[in-house]
Amino acid sequence: MSKKRGLKFYLSIYRKILIQDLKSKMSYRADFVISTIGMIMTNLAGFITFIVLFHNFPTINGWDLNHMLFLYGFSLLALTPVQCFFDNNWNLRTHVYSGDFIKYCFRPVNIFFYFMSEVFDVKGLGQLAFGLGTLIYAWAKIGIPVTFLTVGQALVFTFTASLFMIAIMNVAAATCFWIQGSGYVMVIMFRFKDFARYPASIFNSVFKAIFTFIIPIAFVAYYPSLVFLQPDNVPVLTWLSPLIGLVFFFLSYAFWMLGVRKYDFTGS
Amino acid sequence: MAQEAIVMENLCKDFKVLNRREGLKGSIQDLFSRDYKTVSAVKDVSVTINKGEIVGYLGPNGAGKSTTIKMMTGVLEPTSGKILVNGLVPYKDRTRNCENIGVVFGQRSQLWWALPLVESFKLLRDLYMVPQKEYDEMIELYRSLVDIEPILHKTVRQMSLGQRTLSDILAAFLHNPGIVFLDEPTIGLDVSMKSKIRDLILGLNKEKNTTVILTTHDMGDVDALCKRIVIIDKGSKIYDNDIEHLKTYFGSYRTLRVRLDNNDTWEETLIDEKTTDVMTVITEYQKSHKVKDIQLQEISTEEVIKKLYEGGSV
Repeated sequence: MSKKRGLKFYLSIYRKILIQDLKSKMSYRADFVISTIGMIMTNLAGFITFIVLFHNFPTINGWDLNHMLFLYGFSLLALTPVQCFFDNNWNLRTHVYSGDFIKYCFRPVNIFFYFMSEVFDVKGLGQLAFGLGTLIYAWAKIGIPVTFLTVGQALVFTFTASLFMIAIMNVAAATCFWIQGSGYVMVIMFRFKDFARYPASIFNSVFKAIFTFIIPIAFVAYYPSLVFLQPDNVPVLTWLSPLIGLVFFFLSYAFWMLGVRKYDFTGS
Repeated sequence: MAQEAIVMENLCKDFKVLNRREGLKGSIQDLFSRDYKTVSAVKDVSVTINKGEIVGYLGPNGAGKSTTIKMMTGVLEPTSGKILVNGLVPYKDRTRNCENIGVVFGQRSQLWWALPLVESFKLLRDLYMVPQKEYDEMIELYRSLVDIEPILHKTVRQMSLGQRTLSDILAAFLHNPGIVFLDEPTIGLDVSMKSKIRDLILGLNKEKNTTVILTTHDMGDVDALCKRIVIIDKGSKIYDNDIEHLKTYFGSYRTLRVRLDNNDTWEETLIDEKTTDVMTVITEYQKSHKVKDIQLQEISTEEVIKKLYEGGSV
């Protein structure tokens, strides 16, 4: 009687919703063009700030421009999934406070999936292009060998690094099930992503511990990049980071779903 | 399969509400010591609804209607009591329960805003894994019941409130669920749209034997659709019977209106037919005046419900 909904079902549903969403987005041409330009400008501004900064400080804690560019590109790549696929987290509190959230609870699919599937943010694609370009440039300048191993590592580590930022945003968004001012929590958490561009070694030990274990921003770029930038001296945390990423993601998902279950949905 | 669509036995739902203290000092106290009180939204409600019934679920604002519906749809967990929807415990089996129910909340659309209706339908078809043949048959049925052509290729964003409600109702029936919950489906709609939507609900109920649970404040909906009504107030069930029975709930009341002599105004008398005969009252009038015109009115559902809400107890 009951129908099975596995990974294949979810992928196919996501693809169908995505196609429809893109189609309708492109029908609003002005909106599409302006957001594309906005995205390019944002990334360009970030990039220029970065270059200007380096013009004045040739190295930061032993990291030269190319290393920093590698870190920068890596962080942009790792931040793409949260931007593209989990952007609806930003709307969660509006849906919850207005009572609209309940509509996500009436479908025979996972609530977290159904909610996130509603929004795909195209702006993330520009970030992807910028990140990829920067990373490839830095990769070539530093002279990291291109082998199956290094490319494979790059794929695995960017994927798992992306889980950390997703986890942070899931938790920040889900706070709206308990508190009123969750908008601030989200904005603050989102600001932390900027720290991902810098080597965690420049922070003192207290901040380093915070950015590693509490708000795991150092895992977004710093730890995984060490595989490529300091291959002789890779800390254990780096090798464990894919596993830690999965754990963080799962915990954040569990927290999000707990919020849904505990929420009273008062009012009609 | 059992004949019951919904079984609720001694269903209760309590909410914990923060007792807020007054003033700035109170707010600071609230930060450190929280004082909760328990509010019972639904108290000891037992109702059994059979397959194919259209049941009006009524009650004044804040009576606990929505809370009950949220428990039936698996969104809220009951504090105590038993609830079975299509033989499932909704809260424990939310996903499976959702496969066999449809929900419409009057004012909020559950469709994709930016998509043409037909694309929303196709996504829902895939989401509920409806076989193509059944989907086509359903669309055919829709065509026979209501003119869907004008809205099929419109996006929900562009629709009028009436079209949007119509779309939401069609979407709720699309996967041919056993039960459809309609929460104030006709709120804010014009007279012609209301009647269109009532006809549609009746037609779908007849064709597919779908159980319909309807909450509304519009007694027109109730008169047009429901044979049976359940009324709750302050969380407790106060009435559960046929709509016909409701009219004699406070006795067999009818209103006699007479126009006397050459007077232009109507005089009204409320008559309980159990105790008084209508003819006796008319004879009484005729003794002193010349009766020019007579009307006899049934008490309306609206009046009975109003009386019930205002505290006419069992």
